[in-house]
Amino acid sequence: MFHQTPLKTGAVLLLATAAVVYAFTTGFFGLELLTEVAILAIVAIALDLVAGYGGMVSLCHGALYGVGAYAFASATVLLGWGGGAGMAMAVAGGGAFAWLIGAVSARTHGIFFIMATLAFGQMAYAYFFDSPLFGGSDGMPGIARLDLSGAGLDLNDSRGYALFCTVLALLAYALAATLLRSGFGRTLVGIRANEPRMRALGLPVWRHKAAAFGTSGALAGLAGALAAQHTMYVSPGLLHWTVSGELLIMVILGGLGTLVGAVLGAGVLVFVKHEVARFTDHWHMVVGLVLIATVLSGGRGIFGQIEFLWGRRGARRPEPAATEGSPDHA
Amino acid sequence: MLEVRDLSKSFGALAVTQRVSLRVAPGERRVLLGPNGAGKTTLFNLLVGELAPDSGLILVDGRDVTALSVDARARLGLARSYQKNNLFAGLTVHENLALSAACAQGKATALLADSHRDRGVVATVEEVAERVGLSELLDASVDTIPYGARRRLEVGLALASKPRILLMDEPTSGIGPGGINAFHAFLHGLPAELTILIVEHDMDLAFGIADRVTVLNHGEVVFDGPPQEARDSALIREIYLGSWGAEGGGHA
Repeated sequence: MFHQTPLKTGAVLLLATAAVVYAFTTGFFGLELLTEVAILAIVAIALDLVAGYGGMVSLCHGALYGVGAYAFASATVLLGWGGGAGMAMAVAGGGAFAWLIGAVSARTHGIFFIMATLAFGQMAYAYFFDSPLFGGSDGMPGIARLDLSGAGLDLNDSRGYALFCTVLALLAYALAATLLRSGFGRTLVGIRANEPRMRALGLPVWRHKAAAFGTSGALAGLAGALAAQHTMYVSPGLLHWTVSGELLIMVILGGLGTLVGAVLGAGVLVFVKHEVARFTDHWHMVVGLVLIATVLSGGRGIFGQIEFLWGRRGARRPEPAATEGSPDHA
Repeated sequence: MLEVRDLSKSFGALAVTQRVSLRVAPGERRVLLGPNGAGKTTLFNLLVGELAPDSGLILVDGRDVTALSVDARARLGLARSYQKNNLFAGLTVHENLALSAACAQGKATALLADSHRDRGVVATVEEVAERVGLSELLDASVDTIPYGARRRLEVGLALASKPRILLMDEPTSGIGPGGINAFHAFLHGLPAELTILIVEHDMDLAFGIADRVTVLNHGEVVFDGPPQEARDSALIREIYLGSWGAEGGGHA
């Protein structure tokens, strides 16, 4: 079950503070990195919501992210809508597509669920790659950022945009945390723990899973809209399954089913990628080694390991009482 | 309340349920007896919808539910416990019971309120925990509690959904004589209006609690009547008790 523990709250506040301090001390390049981390953190949170808490490991979150980006680009460039309407369109587009994927795939489990999501994602990728309306393989340039000058914010300034994305990442975390501690989130964890029993207790399970997947897709769509505005350009590459794979790596590296880990994983991966790339072209190998180390050391991920050690510290005193049960039962 | 008409189910050439008919009255305590492989658990699976029958009807309050899904039947007040513990692993006893209670009380999809702290849900969790003797273990993980406690939680999960019809599949298996006595007391404490079907191996317990006994053998109903008659029936002694003896034939 999800609990917004003091440890989680502390970690979020620390990360948010670090992001703000970094934003005011770094240059243009650092701000680009920070923006990328914030955007990817939103998709990673979306992915952890379904994979970590709902047991639905998805290989289509890159596609949902890309659909959001294309929805924003289409609304603003092709239809001439404002940035706010474009963002709403991205959220709705990502959410609707994800709900559909969830509704169709909810009856499958494990590897079959992963394959179903992969198939949906690659279908979307192939569609945008071949569609002349959306620029085909060239993508769509000329995307403008949201105009918040009325509120005194200049999003065309890279610091302003980085902070804007950081705030939205925080809001995404708050939204996911609220949802996970609600009845909806509790039930989602129940489905992950024992789906047939949840059904036997009277829950229309597929509807719940589809709703969770749709919510996750809406968040991924929001991140896509931010990515489109960040680079002011969208391309089909955003939807490719390798993007989904990288998102899964972030979540697993940070700690699947910890929510904070998703944010941490996004940060670690982006910074490792750029820092290591300065020394060697083989940065993928470094990420791979870190991932292997993570999986072999219990699979808890960075934040999962922190929570584990923290919990052991707290539990050390009452431990003798807890073992009087029957530790031998499997 | 619960009625079954000519229910049949085969797995290939093996007929596991053959033209079974039953009629259980509201508030009745019905015990299903039969040797291993007689089709008792299969009948439960058919009743709750985990298996689809080849033919026949299942009616709840006179309404045909044969085509309804597992969850739709559960929402009509049909709950079951399993022969093999089927809990929410990794969660606490409280969380297990709350998942069930929240589902029955329409709190399972609340978007803001924490269903596990909902007043109605918590009241049900505490009430059920008291009934099944788990009040002391509410915050313990189901992975660490003793087998007997898990067995009681298995029944508690079904009970927390406040069913009208409760199906219990060998609730006392593996819990020892002390547990069986406690289960006896637990059963007598349940609301009189609750309709209960129990698959049971313990004959004394079965005869002690049953209003009526149904005996299955090779998927067929071979006896349906009051426990006293069952106790005196030579037929039952032969097919049911006989199968326990060394000379017994039809065990699976």
